[in-house]
Amino acid sequence: MLNHPKRLAGTAIAAASLLLAAACGGGAAAPADIDLGSGPAQSGVVKKDALKGVNLTFVSYGGVYQKGQQDAAVDPFAKESGAQVLQDGPTDYAKIKAQVDSANVTWDVVDTDSIWAAAQCGKLLQPLDYKIIDKSKVPDGLATECSVPAMQYGMVLAYNKDKFGANPPQGWADFFDTAKFPGKRGIPGNPGDSAPGPFEAALVADGVAADKLYPLDVARATKKLDTVRGDLVFWKTGAESQQLLESGEVDMLMMWSGRAYAGIKNGGKFDVQWNQWMPIMDSLTVPKNAKNPKAAMAMINYYLGAQQQAKLTELTSYSPINTDAKPKLDELGTSFLTTRPEVADKRLTVDDKWWAENQPQMIEKWSAWLGG
Amino acid sequence: MKERTAGPALLILPALIALGVFFLYPLLSMLVSAFTDPEPGLGNFAWFFGEQANMQVLGRTFSTAFWVTLVALVLSYPYAYAMTIAGARARAILTLLVLVPFWTSLMVRTFAWVILLQDTGVINKALGALGMGPFSLIRTQTGVVIGMVQLLMPFMVLPLYAVMSGIDRRLLPAATSLGAHPVKAFVQVYVPQSLPGISAGCLTVFISALGFYVTPALLGSPTDALISQQIFTQVNGLLKWGRGGAMGVVLLGLTLAMIALLAVTLRRTGRKVTG
Repeated sequence: MLNHPKRLAGTAIAAASLLLAAACGGGAAAPADIDLGSGPAQSGVVKKDALKGVNLTFVSYGGVYQKGQQDAAVDPFAKESGAQVLQDGPTDYAKIKAQVDSANVTWDVVDTDSIWAAAQCGKLLQPLDYKIIDKSKVPDGLATECSVPAMQYGMVLAYNKDKFGANPPQGWADFFDTAKFPGKRGIPGNPGDSAPGPFEAALVADGVAADKLYPLDVARATKKLDTVRGDLVFWKTGAESQQLLESGEVDMLMMWSGRAYAGIKNGGKFDVQWNQWMPIMDSLTVPKNAKNPKAAMAMINYYLGAQQQAKLTELTSYSPINTDAKPKLDELGTSFLTTRPEVADKRLTVDDKWWAENQPQMIEKWSAWLGG
Repeated sequence: MKERTAGPALLILPALIALGVFFLYPLLSMLVSAFTDPEPGLGNFAWFFGEQANMQVLGRTFSTAFWVTLVALVLSYPYAYAMTIAGARARAILTLLVLVPFWTSLMVRTFAWVILLQDTGVINKALGALGMGPFSLIRTQTGVVIGMVQLLMPFMVLPLYAVMSGIDRRLLPAATSLGAHPVKAFVQVYVPQSLPGISAGCLTVFISALGFYVTPALLGSPTDALISQQIFTQVNGLLKWGRGGAMGVVLLGLTLAMIALLAVTLRRTGRKVTG
């Protein structure tokens, strides 16, 4: 077995780190014996002091988002359950793999992309225990074997309202129409990541019917993208897209709704065209061999509570998962709720399952197109 | 007597262990995974050399490193020379100007360039006031080269200065008094003596530039990614560590080959200069 040398070397490292841990007075503890109370789980509720002495690490993408998660759910959870919760980040898939491979998992609850979570179910991620997590308030189909949604948002079309406000772009076809709408366009362009967005938009703009998008015709999509290549600016992080909006460097942007909201709130002269927006979710997951899976799932259950979700939305503008959540928002914030029926009806349906099965090939094709 | 020699040698043992655990082990495990992950054999290398896109990235990485080295040398040479002829106070200022940015975090300096180089940034505004531009600086190879030159210049200036300050400048008037044009005297008498500084500086800058990640990621466009970014894609985006390892092995091999090549040429030219 040729992966044995690796394991052997892993053991050597583990032995070395054990020495280090021993020197620090620590050492790996067995999973804590946890009593989460009797009766069915209820989202947003944890038994008082049930997790005293348990250490957990919550990992997310940082910035306003993770701060919001911390204030709305993670810190209150720690206070009620008695657990010590550390924050880490940003989410890094290679780090999850390294932890699982070396059988030393230090991350307990990780906020990941939902497509990646679906693809890694049973591999790097473990199935969730729905006896501990109450998913009754999560819309049907959003909670999967290994993940529950962390919030909802969307890939939207934002445009410069000073330039196009009188005659705004109506959808992705106009995004690709540089004759009618001259100017630079920002799109996500991270070679290491390919997600719903550019391909779907290109195909819709090229005349493919919204319900015939999958399986994605990559050749056709990249041909359409080629037609505007000279006008494209690629952003690699949400912060970068927001900066493009605020500095006015581009006239149109394909970007995450949360970043569009933050940029507009900061004075960016942009509006959002909600026609053909694409829904996206982050997911909460538990890596395989996490040290305290029960406690991790108790945290996820707490996170899904109506109150926690309402507060998270108020702090981040991302839309709540719990159908009972009633966030109090100003007009701008309300206009960014993807759960409002008038917005929800305009969406382009994204086939997450297809993406989960095909993402590695899509990353290679996307990275080849970017570099080509 | 024996104790005396073994004692000091033992003192470096912790350093050796640390190097082994934190440097050698990861390097070896990457090497192993290049040949074994996902299955044993040369599959990862076959993939690397079989993909047109990889060859483009490799070429782009080397050409970027070449331009960075050249620009840094052209800017640093007169700078280091000025340092050798300046008075004590001016020299202190010139040295500080090189060292202060050098002590600032690479991340901070790169982000500063993001602000300066953007289309609506200070540089383009100034050029606009002069009736030029705007130029696309950020998200282009030009932007990457500008940022990398600024970051790597200390590695060029300092070895140049170290060598130049040891050169006897009286040789220049001596050469002119024997009839050489001042330019000729400089090129034929001074420059060859500064060659060790040039080669040390160029080698350090070139090799550092080959492995740069943060600056091209922030100042460049994904459409002209360098090899370290492609390694990140394989390792982080696709979780294909074997491929990432293979790319690392190729980069390491080519770098070692460059050093060997330079060592040979230097020995030759060195012989020509002194002999």
